[in-house]
Amino acid sequence: MTSHDVRDMLNLPSEGGGSRPTKKQKSSIARQNLKGLAREVQNLGGDNPIAIVPEISSFKKRRFGSRKPAARWEMRPFRNSARGDESLILRHWRRKTDVQQPPAPQPEQQQNGESNEDKMGTENGESKPDEMEDSSFAKFNVKVDVPQYSEDQYNSTLANSDWTKDETDYLMDAVRDYDLRWPIIWDRYDYQSKDGDSSTDSNTAVIPTPKTRTLEDLKARYYEVAAKMMAVQRPVQYMNQAEFSLHEIMVNFKPEDETRRKKFAEAQMGRSKEEAREEESLLLEVRRILARTEKFNQERLMVSTPLLQNLMTADKSKKRKSLMGTDGQSTPASSGPTAQPGSTPLAEQRRESIAASASGHGHGHSRNDSTASAATDARPEKPTKKGAQAPERRKLTEQEELTYGVSTHDRLPSGPTFRYDRINKILTTKSNAQHARITNTLNELDVPARLTMPTKAVVDQMEHLLVNIQTLLDLKKLSDKFDAEIKLEKAKKAEKDKAAGIVPQPAATESATKGGSNGETAKENGATNKDGKKAGSDAASSSKATAAKPAAGEGANGEKEASTKADEKASAEKPADDEKAAAKEAKDANDTKHATNGVKQETGTGEEKEERPSSSGGQKRSASVLSSVSDKSAKRQKK
Amino acid sequence: MAQPLTTASVPTDIYGGDEVSALVLDAGYCQTRAGFAGEDVPKSVLPSSYGSIKDTNAASGSRNVFGDDFIYARPDFEVKNYMSRTESVVEDWDTAVQVWEAMLLDRLQPERRQTQPSKNGLNDGADGEGDVSMEDAAISAENAENAEKPLAESPLLMTEAPWNQGKAREKAIEIAMENWGCPAFWLSRTPVCAAFAAGKASALVVDVGGANTSVTAVHDGMILKRSIQKSHVGGIWLSNQIRSMFDSSDPKIEVKPSYMVESKVPVDAGAPSQAILRKFGYDLHPSYRAYEDERLLTEYKESVVEVWRGPGRYSNPGNEDLVKTQPGRIFEMPDGSNQMWREQRFRVSEGMWDETAQLPTTSEEDRITKAQTVPELIRACLNAVDVDLRPNLLGNIVVTGGTSLLNGFNDRLNNELMAMYPGMRVKLHAAGLTTERRFGAWIGGSILASLGTFHQMWISKKEYDENGAGIVEKRCK
Repeated sequence: MTSHDVRDMLNLPSEGGGSRPTKKQKSSIARQNLKGLAREVQNLGGDNPIAIVPEISSFKKRRFGSRKPAARWEMRPFRNSARGDESLILRHWRRKTDVQQPPAPQPEQQQNGESNEDKMGTENGESKPDEMEDSSFAKFNVKVDVPQYSEDQYNSTLANSDWTKDETDYLMDAVRDYDLRWPIIWDRYDYQSKDGDSSTDSNTAVIPTPKTRTLEDLKARYYEVAAKMMAVQRPVQYMNQAEFSLHEIMVNFKPEDETRRKKFAEAQMGRSKEEAREEESLLLEVRRILARTEKFNQERLMVSTPLLQNLMTADKSKKRKSLMGTDGQSTPASSGPTAQPGSTPLAEQRRESIAASASGHGHGHSRNDSTASAATDARPEKPTKKGAQAPERRKLTEQEELTYGVSTHDRLPSGPTFRYDRINKILTTKSNAQHARITNTLNELDVPARLTMPTKAVVDQMEHLLVNIQTLLDLKKLSDKFDAEIKLEKAKKAEKDKAAGIVPQPAATESATKGGSNGETAKENGATNKDGKKAGSDAASSSKATAAKPAAGEGANGEKEASTKADEKASAEKPADDEKAAAKEAKDANDTKHATNGVKQETGTGEEKEERPSSSGGQKRSASVLSSVSDKSAKRQKK
Repeated sequence: MAQPLTTASVPTDIYGGDEVSALVLDAGYCQTRAGFAGEDVPKSVLPSSYGSIKDTNAASGSRNVFGDDFIYARPDFEVKNYMSRTESVVEDWDTAVQVWEAMLLDRLQPERRQTQPSKNGLNDGADGEGDVSMEDAAISAENAENAEKPLAESPLLMTEAPWNQGKAREKAIEIAMENWGCPAFWLSRTPVCAAFAAGKASALVVDVGGANTSVTAVHDGMILKRSIQKSHVGGIWLSNQIRSMFDSSDPKIEVKPSYMVESKVPVDAGAPSQAILRKFGYDLHPSYRAYEDERLLTEYKESVVEVWRGPGRYSNPGNEDLVKTQPGRIFEMPDGSNQMWREQRFRVSEGMWDETAQLPTTSEEDRITKAQTVPELIRACLNAVDVDLRPNLLGNIVVTGGTSLLNGFNDRLNNELMAMYPGMRVKLHAAGLTTERRFGAWIGGSILASLGTFHQMWISKKEYDENGAGIVEKRCK
């Protein structure tokens, strides 16, 4: 209940008179639309109209409401000008036109219908011959043009031994009748030679069997006639383009070729299922192969395009680098922290992979790219900047080549290799004893067996060094051998002299002093041959003893470590109520350990072997890095 | 009666139609169809068999009755057919005229009957004055004057078998022009019409009808005469196969049409019938029994018989075992006996495709040779046409005729052709509606006669008068 209603009830003047009437209007409109619906029901919907489809009575209304007369139709006669006789008058329903007066034509139409067959044209023809409408389909009637010829023309140009004029006429008629549909012409072609001919033939006792004409025969004859008649009507040189081409086609008709073609076609149709399947499978195979090559080419293109682009950008970046290469900052060797020892082998690996993948490219090209790709690797932001391609390539000077580590090879091994593999190779190919000897020598020279920075120059030098060491060791061995032999010979000589009565004092004393405890037995034996051997074994045993020494030291060291470890563990396990105290204690323990360790090392290890055990000890003592470092420095000083 | 065409809709020229109220008549061995051009089904379909009642009192002979309604058991009644069984062409011209008049005049234009009781005066009480057309008054006024020219307003298009002979064609135009006074006439061959009904001007028409199966190549709306292939493999042949199967089955199944049965009681499957047969106090002509048998067998064919769809022949090992596992079809005879049919229903139709699989028949004419099977007919037909046409024909095979409605017929035909021409594109066009398949030739004729461009083709009355009946040979090629 709105204020309007209250005001209405109390007969008060309404404030906004505008709203009320509009509302009323609205509802009245809705009511009009939904006739037959109770007002209460209609109001249920409120503002939204009720979704009831109103009954449409327009159908009935239209049917009975419009009093317009029905359209009049009439059976109207018409003729078809495409017909040959023009006499047939058919009738069809057409809407009556208003021009005619309704009563007058009615009986006339009737008349037309009745007198259909007896030529209504006679009575109606004069009155309205023009009024008879022509069929709208008459225009679709088309006929083919068949060449015409006279008797003379036939005799002069068209005579053919195989075809009589009669049969030619028959063919032309057939062509006209069947509108150049050759299959039908051939199908219906049934030329009977005239009775007169056959009778004359029968006189000569030869009855010609009616010739069976093939489709090609018929076509050939027709085209021959048509072409010749064309040429008669208009000589070839005056023909326009279309006419000439048509003439050419007809002149060049080869019935033999057609026959052959049809034979092939028939053979193809008569293929067995297996043949068809085989051919189909072959075709499929061919298609698959073609598709595969296409796909392959596409893939190749896809692979090579980014590669080429990569190369292009790499080329560009390299060029830029070489331009600013003088300041030395951007060379790969000195490019800050990225120039790790590993980076150079990486570059090498790159080069190899590129060389392998881009096998089609020139060698010089790949050589240039390798460094460049290494450079792009180091600086990934470079390839994003793409500029114009620079096709021209700068030749590197020797010095630059050196700086960039560029090298040329006659032949590269497949796959990447590390430089220090070369050195390892030299070492590993040797026997264990030799290996040990080489390492010993290296240690003597204070050269680390593993190179810290295996640049090309360094590796080359190292290789050189190793070779030299090898020669040195060989020579040493040789000289030892000679020494031993000389001694042996000397001993023999002394023995001989002794047997000869001459007592060579110095030799006997020498052997005694050298042999030590063994000297007596050597003397006892008196066997000359064994003496040399003894001396050799002696030397070996002495060397063994020296080797055993560090081992013992190590063992002692290990013992020591075990104990310290246990100590440490104990300290760690101790419930730490005061952390600081615990740490301190641990430190103390370490300190004491160091001290003892140092002492042990001094006593236990040999002169050269001190580094390894100490380092191992350092590793074990991982509690504090600082302490181990200090330990090492202390050792160095000691040394 | 169907409703007359509403005149409110304007006949449009969109499809090239221009109705001239032509009539179309399609006569076959089993049925004769007649109707108005431009409609999609024939208005009147009568069996080509008719009843001949012997007049006992008059020595004059007999009178004929036409239509299913009048073929019932009665004394001195013989069922005949005016068409030839082997050729499907008119054999008995006198009766043919009667039948056609009964259809074209009485059934299609019933209002005419009132003025012409002498023309038929036989049967046909069914139609009455159902159709009251707008022109009613006008026509009845005309009737008096056109008494002897009953079809003076309607051009007539007749169909004929493709192998129809010149004599018969001339006879047809004579009847149309002389007897009925048609203003125009045309004879069209059934394959051409069937191809038109499928919307094709060039096609290979496979017409599997009641009495015959024919395969004809049609090129641009004309048949190729050399390609015509004909075989008696059709509906009647199939009926004989079924009879042979009934005879050889154990126990022997007797065909008892419903007119023989007075009352029946339901029996179990396979049990003998307990029906009470009707007693007739007079002798029935065997032709009537044969006609009724055929009707029963037609029902059997429609509901039971199926064609093995392939691939391969039905006689191939394993196929029959497969069929035996499939559900069968039950058919109840009018006398109440019923049976489940499984593999037999495939076996009867197999002879159409495989001459070795046909069942033994009593009459020697029913035997078929290999050349008479459907695939061989098609092969022979194709071999008789130009090589260049063959691919197109194989891609436009129109299947028509009532017997082609056998279940699985098209599948089998397709399989056979695919096997025969493996490299070619084979496409069958078979109308989905049964009426379109049964009345294919009539529908094509209806289309043809209502085309505006066809008006120039008609043989007019004047041309006939000038040239004589021979004109039909010249014009309707």
